[in-house]
This record gives sequence, C-alpha cells and structure tokens, in this order.
Amino acid sequence: MFLEIRDLRKSYGEGENKVDVLRGINFEVEKGEICVLLGPSGSGKSTLLNIIGGIDNADGGYVAIDGEKTANMNEKVLTAYRRKHLGYVFQMYNLIPNLNVKENIEVGAYLSDRPLDIDDLLHTLGLYEHRHKLPGQLSGGQQQRTSIGRAIVKNPDILLCDEPTGALDYNTSKEILKLIEDVNHKYGNTVIMVTHNDAIKNMADRVIKLRDGAIRKDYRNETKIPAQDLDW
Amino acid sequence: MKNPLRKRIKREIFGEIGKYLAVFLFMLLSIGFISGFLVAASSMKTAYDNSFEKYNIEDGNFSLAAKADDTLISDIEKEGVKLYELFYNEEPATVGKDDNEATIRIFRDRNDIDLICVMDGKMPQNDDEIALDRMFADNNGISTGDEITVGDVKLKVSGLVALSDYSALFSDNNEIMFDAVKFSVAIVTDSRFDKFGDDHETFCYGWKYDKEPSDDKEEKNMSDDFMKALASKAPLTNYIPRYQNQAINFTGDDIGGDRSLMIALLYIIIAIMAFVFAVTINHTIDREASVIGTLRASGYTKGELVRHYLAPPMIVSLVAAVVGNILGYTIFKNVAADMYYGSYSLPTYVTIWNAQAFILTTVVPLVIMLIINVISLNSKFKISPLRFIRHDISRHKRKKAVKLPHFKFFTRFRIRVVFQNIPNFIVLFVGMLFTCVLLLFGMMMLPLLEHQKKETLSNMISNYQYILKAPVDTDTADAEKYSAGSYKYDGDELTVYGISEDSIYFKEGAVKDGVAISDCMADKYRLEVGDKIKLSEEYADNEYEFTVDKIVKYPSSVVVFMEQSRFNEAFDKNADYYTGYFSNAGIKDIDDKYIASCITEEDLTKVTRQLEVSMGNMFYLFYIFAVIMAALLIYLLTKLVLEKNANSISMVKILGYENGEIARLYLLATTWVVAISTVISIAASTFIIKVIYRPMMSSMSGWLILWYDKNIYWKMFLIIMATYVVVALLQFRKIKKIPMDQALKNVE
Repeated sequence: MFLEIRDLRKSYGEGENKVDVLRGINFEVEKGEICVLLGPSGSGKSTLLNIIGGIDNADGGYVAIDGEKTANMNEKVLTAYRRKHLGYVFQMYNLIPNLNVKENIEVGAYLSDRPLDIDDLLHTLGLYEHRHKLPGQLSGGQQQRTSIGRAIVKNPDILLCDEPTGALDYNTSKEILKLIEDVNHKYGNTVIMVTHNDAIKNMADRVIKLRDGAIRKDYRNETKIPAQDLDW
Repeated sequence: MKNPLRKRIKREIFGEIGKYLAVFLFMLLSIGFISGFLVAASSMKTAYDNSFEKYNIEDGNFSLAAKADDTLISDIEKEGVKLYELFYNEEPATVGKDDNEATIRIFRDRNDIDLICVMDGKMPQNDDEIALDRMFADNNGISTGDEITVGDVKLKVSGLVALSDYSALFSDNNEIMFDAVKFSVAIVTDSRFDKFGDDHETFCYGWKYDKEPSDDKEEKNMSDDFMKALASKAPLTNYIPRYQNQAINFTGDDIGGDRSLMIALLYIIIAIMAFVFAVTINHTIDREASVIGTLRASGYTKGELVRHYLAPPMIVSLVAAVVGNILGYTIFKNVAADMYYGSYSLPTYVTIWNAQAFILTTVVPLVIMLIINVISLNSKFKISPLRFIRHDISRHKRKKAVKLPHFKFFTRFRIRVVFQNIPNFIVLFVGMLFTCVLLLFGMMMLPLLEHQKKETLSNMISNYQYILKAPVDTDTADAEKYSAGSYKYDGDELTVYGISEDSIYFKEGAVKDGVAISDCMADKYRLEVGDKIKLSEEYADNEYEFTVDKIVKYPSSVVVFMEQSRFNEAFDKNADYYTGYFSNAGIKDIDDKYIASCITEEDLTKVTRQLEVSMGNMFYLFYIFAVIMAALLIYLLTKLVLEKNANSISMVKILGYENGEIARLYLLATTWVVAISTVISIAASTFIIKVIYRPMMSSMSGWLILWYDKNIYWKMFLIIMATYVVVALLQFRKIKKIPMDQALKNVE
C-alpha cells in the first residue's frame, strides 16, 4: 500500500468548545491512483489533506507513505519529506508575483533532484507561449496551470490538490481537471484531490466521501470517465 | 540548480527602489562619513605621533624671569638635560581684511628642537617678512603674500607654518581652550626678532633629557625631580613638562577622541535602519504569507526562506558599506581632515590604510544588520506553513478586540490603526528618540555657547584684570589689588583669588571663613556649600584644605575665591602680597615690562569663541543629519502603515469615503504617534543629554554649565512636525493613487 491512513483523529478547541474535525479516518491509496476526497464545507477534507501533506498534525492515528509514518518526523525531517514526496496545489494559486511563469515553475524544480524538463512541462501545461509573463498578466486558469506546474515539476510521488478549481469557471475548471488527469497519466503521480464538487468524483479511481469528520462512503470508481467529459 | 528565488531579490529591490535607495543613501552617508573620520583620524594621529621624532619635539619648557647666563645654563644642564632657547615676544597685531585684533607670539626660526612644518610659501628671509600659523591665518582670512601689522610694523606673510610645539594654539597652558582666532605663533628672522626689543620678551627654554624616559611614570618622576632642582637654581615663572603641555598634547588627545562616540553613533544608526528593515520585511512577509505557506508546504526550508528575505537588507548594507568606505577614503576623509585642520595646527599627513576602521565600518554594521534581521525573521518563521497559508501569522494573536470607550467612530478607527501598527510605531519612537538627541545636541550647543558668553561678560569682575610680573603701584582710580595663584584640585589646575575685603568689584568673593567657589566649579565637581576641598600646589607637595562657604556666580571658569588677607596667610605670602589689579579703566602708568598679561572680555570669551569656530559646522551637521533621519524614518514607517492598509483603504473608497476622510483616518493616526513620540522624545533627550554631557565635557580642563535655550523645544517640535507634514503630503498622494479594485482583486 502506497498511502496508508489509520484511525486519524483531529479536534480543535477544548472542553465544551471542542470540535472533532476528524473522527478516526481509515483508508489506503494505491500508487498512481487519483483519489477524490469529497464533502461539504466543514466535513474535514482539507484538514485531512493538510495532515497527509505534513503541514498539520493529527491528535491520533497516523499517515504512512511507503511505510514511513509522518507523525514520527521532526520539523526538519518533515520539511525534507514534503520536499521529496509532495506537490501542493491550492484553490488560490499563490504564485510569486515578481517571477514569470517559467521562473515560478523553477521554484518547484529547485526542490527536486530529478525535476521534469521545464520546457516539456510548459508545453504539457499549454503555457509555453506565456512562459515570460508575470502572474498578473495571466488569466485565473493560466495561473492555476502555473501553480500545478510548480507542484508537478519536481515529479512528486503525491500531488495534493485542495479545491484546485474552486476559484475557476466551468470551462477553465474542466481544463484544469484534464491537466491533472494528463499529468497523472504521463508522470504516474498519485493524486489526492479535495473538492466539494460532486461531479469531479467521476474522474477518480477512488472516491472517499466525508461528512462531520468521518468517512461516509469509500469506494473504487468502476465507471471512471475522462475529465473533459465531466459535466455539472 | 541555483535557487530561483534569488531572481526576485533584484526585482524586489528595484520594485521598491524609493525605500531601498533612501535607506541605502542614509547608510552610505553615515558609513562614508564615519569611515572617512576614522581614516583621517588615524592617519593624522600617526602623523602627529611621528611628529615627535620628525620635528624633535621638546621634553618640556620653562621660563625664567631673566635670561640665564652660561654658568646657569651649564649648571642646569648638569641635571641630565640639554637646553635650547625658545625666546619669544608677544605683540599685539592687526590682521585680515577686517583689521582683527590679535596677539602674536613671535619666535626665531628653530634648528634644534620643536621644528617647523612649512604648509605654504616659505620661511621668512627678510626683516619685513613673517611666517604665520596656518590655522590662525585660515581663521582670519590671511594668505601668503598678505600684509599684517605687528606692534607698529607692517610685515609680509612669507608662508604659513605649523609649529610642532603648538599644534593647539594655547597661549597659556592653564587655559580651558586654545584660541586660534585671536592668538597665533609666528616666525621671523633673527634680526627682526632683535628689533622687537625685550619689553615683551619671555625667556623660555626648551629641554630634552639626555636619557629619554622609558615610560610615562618615569617621565613624571624625571620632570618632578628636574623642577625641584630648577626651582632651587633660578626663579621660575613657568614650568611645563611635555606631558602637561596642552599646546602639544591637546591635539593628540582629541584626534580620534570622539572615535568611540562616532562609532557608537554609527552603530545606533545601523541598528535603527536594521529595525526599519525588520518591520518592512515583516510587512512583506505578511503580504506574501500564502506564497510563503505554499513554498513551505512544497518543501522550502525555514533557512532557505530566512536567507531569501534577509538578502535585500544585507545586499543594501553591503553595498552601502563598501561604497561608503570608498567614499570614506576619497571624499569624506578630506572633510574629516579639514575639520581637524580647522581646529588644529597640524603638519601634513599621509593617508594610511586602516584595517580596523574597515572592519568597524563594514563588518560590524553588517553583523548588526544580520543579527537584528535574523532574530526578527526566525521569530516570524516559527509559525507553521498552514498558518502562513491561512494568513494567520500574528505570533501573539489577540483573541478579542481591545474594548474602546465610546469615542466618535473616527477616533476609535484611528486608535485601532495605532494598535494594528504598534511594532512600526515602536521603531518610529526609538528612531525619533535618537533623532531628538542628535537634534537637541545640534541645536543646543551654539545657544549654550552664546549664553555662556553673555553670562561671562555680565559676571566679569572688572573690565581689565592685570597680572603683574612684579608688584608695581598705580595711581589709576578704582584699580584694586588682588592676589591669585594656580593650584590643583582633583588633578586639574584652577585659579585661587584673594579679593580685597572692601572690594568694589567682587565683594561676595571676599569670604573670610572657608572659600567661595564659582558656580562653574560647583557644577563641574558637584560641590555644595559645606563640602571640603583640598588644593595642592602645582610645583610642590603642600596641600590646603578649605570648606565651601558660598557658591558665587562666575560661569567663565573654575575658580576659588577668598578674602585677600586670608589668601596671603593661607598660602604663606606676605601680608601686602598681591599679583595684579582689577580695574574698569585701562591702567596707563605701569610699564609694559611689568605686566605679564591683561585679561579682558576677549580673553574670557575665548573658549566659547573657539568652540564656535571649530565646532560650529559640526553642530549644523548633527542638526541636518537629524532632520534627514527624522524624514526618512517617518517616510518609511508611514509608508508601511499605508501599504499594510492598502486593501482597507481601497475598500473604504468603495464604500464612498473621500480621500480627505481616508487621510484623516490613516494619516491622522500617524500624526498622533509622531507628535506624541516627538514630545516624549524631546523630554527624554533632554535627560539623555544631561547624562552624557558630563562624561563628554570631563576631558575639558574647564567647564561649560549645561544650559538649554527653552525656545529650542518648540523649534525642535516644529522642525519635526514640518518634516512630517512634507512626508504626509507625499503619503496623501499615495492614498489618492490606491485603486478601488485593489480590495476586490486581493480578496482571498
């Protein structure tokens, strides 16, 4: 099992104000799968993603990647773990405003010993023509492509996407989802994507539905459809 | 692969070029000036130190009442010394375009000791020529080739010189301050010297020990022994071993004497600039929090990001330090050297590479900048990547808003702006405090000197104070005899006066029990009525103890007064002993040859005059520097407040607020802080100056009572607020430029 999550628990606050965000989450993801974490706001899906990504801590249980448990890592080792294994894409693109498209992608490439070819990736992202533009000169979709490029260029084992289409329109959202799918096919990275958009589950190999911090459904999607055919 | 983040460092600097340029120029000037000062000081100090050997400077000099004959000279030389004639004549002179009055001490050319450095022109060749001290000439606008009147003869200035035994132009070793405006030394030909006659001639002899003393202690012991032996052989009128000679040593003590102060000044400036950078970077980090969070989540280490944000201040500081040092060695060195040449009659110097100065003005500022910013950045980067992503980056998160009284909305809004910007305002306050200390110092000294001058003149004992070589009677009406002598108190020389019991000039000084001391002395040594003071003789071991009975107003010098008959008795003089006359009219019936000197208001105001001349420009420099610093700090920190609130400003614009109203919300909050900081800083700086004034003045043998012109306070306040208004107008333009859609674009 590539990614293993066992009895993961997390709560905020104390006493009467205590809110259980994750109540004993268990699941596994195989290498190269696209796994969609689906749920409404407050269901705990982003917290779960952040714990997998090593930027938040669980109160109990563990996350293991290739058998390595993140809970046992100190901050330095955790940073190295993120550096080596993970790529992050957020709803907001968080690009560096005074670096152009290519340079923003280089920011990701710098972290890896085996980065992808940047020009090749720019073609894959459809950004080759825009590579010298600053983020402020790009559309939202292009900025999100760039942020995916920044995450994927280091060829991470896992690509973590937190509502990657949350700020985009319908067509651009589909373009971005197709891109994530293409990247998954081409480079074989495991993709874990958080979304509240029910339609997106159809492109996943694996679907985990969360509500109130617990898994309500966990199933393998036998009727997977390409991202470009999604509709909502 | 090189870190691609480095590509944005250049863009960051050029994107905020105004801010970085302002700090860069300020640091450049500070480092440049201090580097130049240190280089000039060390080079000149080396030239000064070398001058002892190069110009064969005396081991001391003494004066006799009459010329010593060969027998006496050989008798004295048996004490292990070699004597050289340094006879001089003091003549009144009229010099310069404005016919300034001055006193010139004229020597023959020297070939053995105390040699002369010709700075311009040449030594006198003919009887109608004179070589003048270079600094006195500068102060009076005299050039080589000009004519001056000495006594009643006109002489042509053949050249400008520096006498190695008069690098500071002290006419009297007991003076508080030298006088390069109204006193000069000069050289004439032997035949011209002889023509002056011997009415005003002083039979001064310089000596060199046959065996040089090995250290200061031995030098003092040798000098004490020699003085005792000398005093037993001939009547001494003056005895100045080299280590006590202010004309020789004052310059050496002063060159680089301000070094520690200057270096401290530089480090305080650098530290303030480092804090300015720290709050600026903090603001940048706040702005870029989500990007930083993403980078940290992607695997960028804390160290990589700390180094990244550290780069701009370190690059700016490094360039400022390197270029500052280059300017220090080229331009500012001359400025500093000119300041020394403006005070002292120094020989020429050669610039010497000063590794220590380079370290102090390059490495240390960089280390200060590094430490302050690393501490600030490390503390900022302690929070987790997730909190960066969520923009939850305040380390001390306030759970609830501070409850405010029911003020008007605008007032409450402004108070919130102040709370939001407390770190910026703390840096602003510290900066303003430092600025106010500099400004107060720059503004207070000239009025203080002017006040001192007025006080001195209004408290003069008499218009003329004659000091006689020997007792001579006069028929001048109202001329009043007094006794006086030089004694030592706490290692410093002071004058003790015996005042006639029924004095018409200074009756309050004629104390019968105990002594009266001048307010100047009371202030310097923190003496009060009832305290005991112990005086010792200069050239003997006798000690005298007195009780302070009264403190009298006499601000010009450190002086002790007592009734004349008590003076004569206490110091073992004859009952009818006296040393001179107080008189409001000039005494005409005493031959010049009996008059050692006559003290007039010109002499009493010598200290203030010389300080005005040699330090005046320095005070203005402080003043200008402080104003620039105030402008820079206010500009950078108010800019930060506006940048921090750009989104909110944009939002309130959308709500319909006008630019004027927005300025009232944001700029007025800053106005409060600047005004309050200024008022507190002015009060605090008065206290700080009071604390540092005493150690600063302690090197002077005299004393200037600390006094503030009350008008300075409101002037300081107005200067800072006027500076603020200029900055606020610039910032108002910025408020107008903030677009309404900024708030909409940057909502995350």
